[in-house]
Amino acid sequence: MTATTHRMPLARPPKVLVTKIGFDGHDRGSRIVAAYLRDAGMEVVYTGPWQEIPFVVNLALEEDVDVIGVSSLATDHLLVPKLMDALREAGLGHIGVIVGGIVPDDEEAVLKDAGVAHVFHAGSSREEIVASIEELVHTVRAQAA
Amino acid sequence: MTAKREPVQLPLPGLDRARAEWRQAYESQVPGEDARSNRSGIPIKPIYGPDDWDGTAYMDGLGYPGQAPFTRGIHPSMHRGRPWSQRQLIGLATPEDYNTRMRGLLDAGVTALSLIPCNSVYRGFDVDEVDIELLGTCGTTVNTVEDMEICLDQIPLDQVSVALNDPSPFTLLALMMAVAKRRGTPWKSLTGTSNQSDYLSHFIANHMFFRLALPGAKRVLMDHIMFMNREAPRWNPISVVGQHMQQGGATPAEAMGLTLSTAIQYANDLVERGLSPDDFLHRFSFFFDISISFFEEIAKFRAGRRVWTSIARDRFGAKDPKTWRFRFHAQTSGVDLTRQQPLNNIARTAVQAIAGIFGGLQSMHTDAWDEVLSTPSDEAARIAVATQNILREEAHLDDVIDPLGGSYYVERLTDQMEEEIRAVIDKIDAAGGMYAAAEAGVVQSMLGDSAMAFQDRVDSGEQTIVGVNKYVVAEDASHRPTLERPPEDVMNAQIARLGRFKAERSSDAVSKASDALVRAANHAEENVFGAIVDAADAGVTHGEICTILRRELGFGQPLVVA
Amino acid sequence: MTAAAKQVPDSEWLAKLQSGHRTTLARAITAVENETAGAGDIISAIHPHLGHAHVVGFTGPPGAGKSTLVSAYVAELRKRDLTVGVVAVDPSSPLTGGAILGDRIRMTAHTGDEGVFVRSLASRGHLGGLSRTAARVIDVMDAARRDVVVVETVGAGQSEVEVAEIAHTKVVVCAPGLGDDIQAIKAGILEIADVLVVNKADLPLADRTVKQLKGMLGLTKREGWTPPVLRTTATTGEGVDTLADKIDDHADAEGGLRASPVHRVQRLLAGIAAERLKRRIERQDDPAMTELCEAVLRGDVGFDAAASRALELLVKSKD
Repeated sequence: MTATTHRMPLARPPKVLVTKIGFDGHDRGSRIVAAYLRDAGMEVVYTGPWQEIPFVVNLALEEDVDVIGVSSLATDHLLVPKLMDALREAGLGHIGVIVGGIVPDDEEAVLKDAGVAHVFHAGSSREEIVASIEELVHTVRAQAA
Repeated sequence: MTAKREPVQLPLPGLDRARAEWRQAYESQVPGEDARSNRSGIPIKPIYGPDDWDGTAYMDGLGYPGQAPFTRGIHPSMHRGRPWSQRQLIGLATPEDYNTRMRGLLDAGVTALSLIPCNSVYRGFDVDEVDIELLGTCGTTVNTVEDMEICLDQIPLDQVSVALNDPSPFTLLALMMAVAKRRGTPWKSLTGTSNQSDYLSHFIANHMFFRLALPGAKRVLMDHIMFMNREAPRWNPISVVGQHMQQGGATPAEAMGLTLSTAIQYANDLVERGLSPDDFLHRFSFFFDISISFFEEIAKFRAGRRVWTSIARDRFGAKDPKTWRFRFHAQTSGVDLTRQQPLNNIARTAVQAIAGIFGGLQSMHTDAWDEVLSTPSDEAARIAVATQNILREEAHLDDVIDPLGGSYYVERLTDQMEEEIRAVIDKIDAAGGMYAAAEAGVVQSMLGDSAMAFQDRVDSGEQTIVGVNKYVVAEDASHRPTLERPPEDVMNAQIARLGRFKAERSSDAVSKASDALVRAANHAEENVFGAIVDAADAGVTHGEICTILRRELGFGQPLVVA
Repeated sequence: MTAAAKQVPDSEWLAKLQSGHRTTLARAITAVENETAGAGDIISAIHPHLGHAHVVGFTGPPGAGKSTLVSAYVAELRKRDLTVGVVAVDPSSPLTGGAILGDRIRMTAHTGDEGVFVRSLASRGHLGGLSRTAARVIDVMDAARRDVVVVETVGAGQSEVEVAEIAHTKVVVCAPGLGDDIQAIKAGILEIADVLVVNKADLPLADRTVKQLKGMLGLTKREGWTPPVLRTTATTGEGVDTLADKIDDHADAEGGLRASPVHRVQRLLAGIAAERLKRRIERQDDPAMTELCEAVLRGDVGFDAAASRALELLVKSKD
């Protein structure tokens, strides 16, 4: 496995929740991304598909994660703004949220407006994904400190 | 067995010298190592010749089409006499939309129908149980016998074969049988397939199917097969879905091996139910992904036919040659399609489709080029159908049966794929069969490892994907279609219709049928699928049936293997 | 990190923690897990308030169904109206340090129940089936007044011994027919197991495995408590109530005392020091070491004597 050579100036490893909400169960992509992040030295809480928003919020709270990555390949991504509302309501508005999978351009704008930090499309490279999440973890921690 | 055949040296005077001379000349043009292998990990040589395959085992390994081991095809006439059916999976929001599009496609030459329900249906819910954003984006919202009547309006059920994308507990089929009953169409005349009956593949590859806990899923499938065998014997109650395995990451050889192992599991379960293999094996059909790994896919299908013959004939001792025939539907793989330069997907789909045709499929779905971006648009769906027509009627790919048979490369590769496939089957046998292997996560790990290995090849650039890791161009995104979500008022109307349906149905009939379903679920000697059909007919909705079974038989949590 | 780092753990903070404020607990765990700047203050603040929780360790080979059994056990505890903290340890990759924390996903049944708090820890290269700071994480859950804290190890071969250091009651889980595993673990396991469980008891071979375990137990007499050998089927919950009863009985029998904290720290220090020594000896690059190894290869010196000599060399090289 080719580990990326990013330096990790963070005091502790990034902690990322990789999940899927809604109906879609296609989990090949989320499994690969989870492995990418692990191989980049991150600690990944991985849930598998079909999670409900309250479950994800509870998990994020108990695990004190920096970032939540939501994978969506079958139109479920429009639930993400609801997830972000629920996070804010639980006092977890500081957590960075990213989305990966199949997201049409016009709906990408909807997600960005709701506060999603990045949307990764099919074909995004390992380096791009890892680097963006590391960057996001830095931002999240800097804001929290 | 055929797979272990040693190449025989034919007395071909001058062969050794010619080969040595060629080798030298070749190496002068391709200096150094140029090791290549296919997705299943089989090394690919620059040329194949008589020492790879010499035809002496022709009768054992190939024979003629319609003859065991069916490597060259399951029908004597193959696509000349039995053209593949063009099945386009159509997912449209409302039953009315579905019916309109479907009748248009019948007019356009499509010979068999598919029904893709809305994701909410897949996941076991009615429209009034879920977030409205999720409704009708990928398929039709069918919850009640009334919805099904609208879907099938003016479609002659005794003349058109229908593939229902209908996971356990087979409510769409139950609704369709209720419609047939109301129309007076005899169940015995129904033809088609329960296209998503393979609960093990759902359990392994997740995707988006409603799942009962494994023991309950097994029970419902067995009851479903027993019921359909008796009541609608022309129906194919089981389709073993290799597509999920391959989309989940399995290599083509693994996908074929795992699919055959799944079929072995189901066959064993049916034998345990007291059936003889000759009673049911001829009703097994299969469903595969066709990737763009062209020759590998052709060899996968040819080898799959050969291995299935030996499973049915030798392993299960089935006597009827009909049971030895490996019938399959295939779909061009969406995994190979790209968001970048999406019109390139038309070319990819055509290559995949050719592999499927040369592989000897019985029915085919070609992906629309925009599937990776959103739900297919009208025009893209038409191009996908046209692709099949062009290949058959302009390019004449149906002229010759198994046109690559006898190719040194394809025959050698078919033998090698067969070895790989048998190795996978042996591995699953050693794990106690597919049910046990799925329960323990053995298969899930296999898929994950292969998915990762392929991704590594893409990440490293060893595997080119045009427009993604090579030949990347700055893009004009205006070609990209946007996702057409059904307007909220349309979906609200569906919810309202469901409410009206519930208000108007006989609550007495519903509660009786629901009670009967609960009882059947808890009594192994009753046929639970029979109770589902009765419930559908009595006006119990899809979501209500799923809720009852989820409660009585347990829900199938995803097995997380990361 | 966030609030915990900023917030001095005063009495208000402590009250929040003890009243079950979940974010406070989550962040305190992050602090002690990662030994951040605020960790020391937290540890001092909670120190006088420890000793509430009954700590139950679950260990055993992979594939025995530990996570599912833990989940079923947690459900049983909730029926008994006890609050629960779960610490699930997953292995870190030795190459990259990253980890997939997936065990807790088998515990989805408790979502929405504030009486259950689950936290995953990556082992971060620490041998012994736990993470280096796991004991402190347990302390935080204890201070947060969880009635029972369940610790699930990664299931590595040596985990049982370390679990013994931090758990009041040690549950060793195996699956039927894992004969080789039983052979492999029996060395250390019978001394520490307080309760032995054969999970997946619906499988064939369950009876035989129970018998084997009982036979092995018979060979090692222990004073006082006799470890029971139980059968459970975690997926259906069968046998889990008896398991909970036996764990209770054990707590009563032992007076609910954890291994003394000083002893625990001493053992942990020994473990860490041993890792460091090992690394240094492996890296030792001087002619005397090479000569010593060659002598061993020739058979001139035995391994025991050579190891003592290696330690001496290490001390010398320090000078």
